[in-house]
Amino acid sequence: MNLNTTYSEQELVSALRLRDEKAFAYLYDQYSGALYSVVNKVLPDKELANDVLQTVFINIWRRFDSYDPTKGRLFTWMLNIARNAAIDEMRSKGFNNNRKNQPLPESNEVAGAITGPAIQDSGLSKVIGQLKEEWRVLLDLAYYQGFTHEEIAKAMDLPLGTVKTRIRAALIHLRTLLQ
Amino acid sequence: MNIQEYISGGIIESYVLGLAGPEERAEFEQYCSQYPELVEARIAFEISLEQQALSGTTKPPAFIRENILQEIGKGAKVIPFKPVYGRSANIWKYSAAAAVLLLAGSITWNISQMNQNKTLSSNLEKANENIMGLVAEIGKLQQNPNIKMASLKGMDASPQSFATVYWDTASHDVFLLANNLPAPPTDKQYQLWALLDGKPVDLGMMEYNIRQKKLLVRMKNVGNAQAFAITLEKMDRPDPSKPGGDMYVMGKL
Repeated sequence: MNLNTTYSEQELVSALRLRDEKAFAYLYDQYSGALYSVVNKVLPDKELANDVLQTVFINIWRRFDSYDPTKGRLFTWMLNIARNAAIDEMRSKGFNNNRKNQPLPESNEVAGAITGPAIQDSGLSKVIGQLKEEWRVLLDLAYYQGFTHEEIAKAMDLPLGTVKTRIRAALIHLRTLLQ
Repeated sequence: MNIQEYISGGIIESYVLGLAGPEERAEFEQYCSQYPELVEARIAFEISLEQQALSGTTKPPAFIRENILQEIGKGAKVIPFKPVYGRSANIWKYSAAAAVLLLAGSITWNISQMNQNKTLSSNLEKANENIMGLVAEIGKLQQNPNIKMASLKGMDASPQSFATVYWDTASHDVFLLANNLPAPPTDKQYQLWALLDGKPVDLGMMEYNIRQKKLLVRMKNVGNAQAFAITLEKMDRPDPSKPGGDMYVMGKL
């Protein structure tokens, strides 16, 4: 394999549509670290995270035809596949068994359980970790644990509107942190 | 509506991060088709998110990469195939030159059918040019020692049909030469399949346009194959990963 080959996003997408395995190896080398971070954040169990990352990339290859560049960049699409796969795995493995019938932890427990950014936090979670506590907890529940706004409102005993407003505010602030 | 307010209201972040609900997503995509500035802002956020996500990440263990690359090299998942009603064929070793001659005959015939008039000669000239280009392309393929060739013979649905597949055993590239295939009805198109242990692997649809026909078409790559086949399929069918229509040609490697 020629390690020096680089691709523009468009070239990469065209090559992957043509089932170019070299381009896929490049895609893996470029993005596996970033996707692995997100998967690991959702699934701290290394073995599970490894399995999910493998499934994610195989699905990216097999379902590449379903990628629609008009709806977003390639990385955005892959990031959402990875996050969703990790959350599905977390649920299926019973991390939050019978989640529907169980309340979320009390808000003070949540705050206690998610005590600031871990040292190894990198990439996206590093930025989320810079948000103020109130926002960080909400984004952690929504983004890394996949709870709906309704579930969060119920568990934290906040009006749904407040949860929505705070998540929006957190996201807007996230954008300024990223810039 | 005030698009600037919409842009700065958090919906972009919510959409990109996959936190928006279905209605919000639909609305966002609708606005994206109307407001280029919204698309620009979305892309800007996506890029900054990507840059951040790519920074300071840890490499996954090396065996994952090996597993994945091995898995995708095996080709697509297994799908049951409609039984093949073909006759046994034993003339697989057509030379590329014979293929070109057949194609030349086919094009000349097509053109003479289409135009019994004065444009005939200019079309014929164009066809000749195309054929010369094709001869050069096939020549290049033949020089590649990794190329294997399969002659796809007409099946019961269309005994006169004939096509050739060139498969690169090293790069896994697949090239299709449609030597003679009848023009499909407007609601149908041809689809190429690789066959491995009797199971079909989708290698893509063929765009068929007799007037600007691309003679040698690159199809999807495939890691392994024992034979290739072309079926005539309805456009917009629900699951294009499985063959449903009649098989027109088939041939072993």
